[in-house]
Amino acid sequence: MAERGVSRRPEHLAAVPGTAPPPVEAGDLLRQVARGDETAFGKLYDLVAPRVYGLIRRVLRDPAQAEEVAQEAIVEVWRTAARFDPARGSATSWIFTIAHRRAVDRVRSEQAASERTMRAGAASVDTPYDAVVDEVAGRLERQQVRRCLDDLTELQRQAVTLAYYQGHSYPRVAELLGTPLPTVKTRMRDGLIRLRDCMGTGASA
Amino acid sequence: MTTDIHTLVGAYVLDAVDDIERASFERHLRECDPCRAEAGELSETAARLADNTWSVPPPRLRTDVMAEIGRTRQLPPVVEGSRAARTTPRRWRFTAAAAAVVAAIGAGSAVYVVQDQRVREGQQVAEAARANEARVRAILASPDVVVRKQAVSTGGRVTVATSRLHNAGVVMLSADAAPTDRVYQLWTIRPGGAPRNAGVLREGQAADVVVLEGLPGATDVGLTIEPPNGSATPTLPMIADVKLV
Repeated sequence: MAERGVSRRPEHLAAVPGTAPPPVEAGDLLRQVARGDETAFGKLYDLVAPRVYGLIRRVLRDPAQAEEVAQEAIVEVWRTAARFDPARGSATSWIFTIAHRRAVDRVRSEQAASERTMRAGAASVDTPYDAVVDEVAGRLERQQVRRCLDDLTELQRQAVTLAYYQGHSYPRVAELLGTPLPTVKTRMRDGLIRLRDCMGTGASA
Repeated sequence: MTTDIHTLVGAYVLDAVDDIERASFERHLRECDPCRAEAGELSETAARLADNTWSVPPPRLRTDVMAEIGRTRQLPPVVEGSRAARTTPRRWRFTAAAAAVVAAIGAGSAVYVVQDQRVREGQQVAEAARANEARVRAILASPDVVVRKQAVSTGGRVTVATSRLHNAGVVMLSADAAPTDRVYQLWTIRPGGAPRNAGVLREGQAADVVVLEGLPGATDVGLTIEPPNGSATPTLPMIADVKLV
């Protein structure tokens, strides 16, 4: 359609002047993938797989299940690549939305939910807690996302992270936070607006 | 009414809504351009939350994915009609909306029954899981808990935590993979007795947490691979045998 190439905004940094090859862009790769290009798909995999897998693993907390769901999500990207509409958002956002929804669907399916709560018990024995905290904290420190999350009010931050990273529904988040439903809905919305404003400039990928 | 549903925009982009709310919110987005713009921006923001979850996937994931796309057919682009619907003249849209409402009232009640049933089942499972989880936590938190671990010979690990105070134990199986067309089965062995079934996993299940009452009286927790639904006596060899004494 007409908007091709017009509304596409740079997702990362501007190209460095000189002879360096232009950075690979998820949007370009996805367009090639939509035409059935498996080599482009391999490149796209390398670009997004650590975040897709990491995100799903964060929500599910179980590496084996995360691997399975990550595979489903990435194959879904291949299957539906032609339905990606650049006018409605970036390629990476589209991909992470697929991945997140898959993770949440899995976490909410009752069977997974019960297994997962029990595995949380297993994790407390298997993994020394401090090591996990160190690993997570170390990785987070470098990230702009972390800084922006810190800018939120406590309630906004809890509402957003309980939903996104743990896959809880908003009624469940309200219950966990002991907060009325309308307040939780509002905090999710204004928390995201604040994050958007914070991350809007100097975005890094 | 439009403004009322729009308060869900944050929960919607965080995937914190249920299927019915998602469907009605998406209907709302189709009718409201500024709302769609806001939802789009906030989706971009939410996706950035994935930035700090970076974790290296196992190398076999790439191999598996590349093999699977080789046999997965791609969908064609969305037909023009569905995009065009967004810009059809107002009067036509009203008719379509009215038709959608009528359809929704018919389908809605059926969906509601299914949904309600699913919610109730979910609550029961969650309650059982909570009770079980509380018991697991109590045993693991017991001052006299003894934790023993052993590798599974086919890959993975069995961890057994026992507490005499609770006269119970928690067995945690975390295998690398589920056996093909077979299942894992746990056993307890007591002095002078035949091995007793301590839990049969489902096909495809590679991890489980089981609370075993009276476990401190046993000498071993064993693991075997059995036909689906398990066996009355263990098929040897044991692929893990955790000694408790």
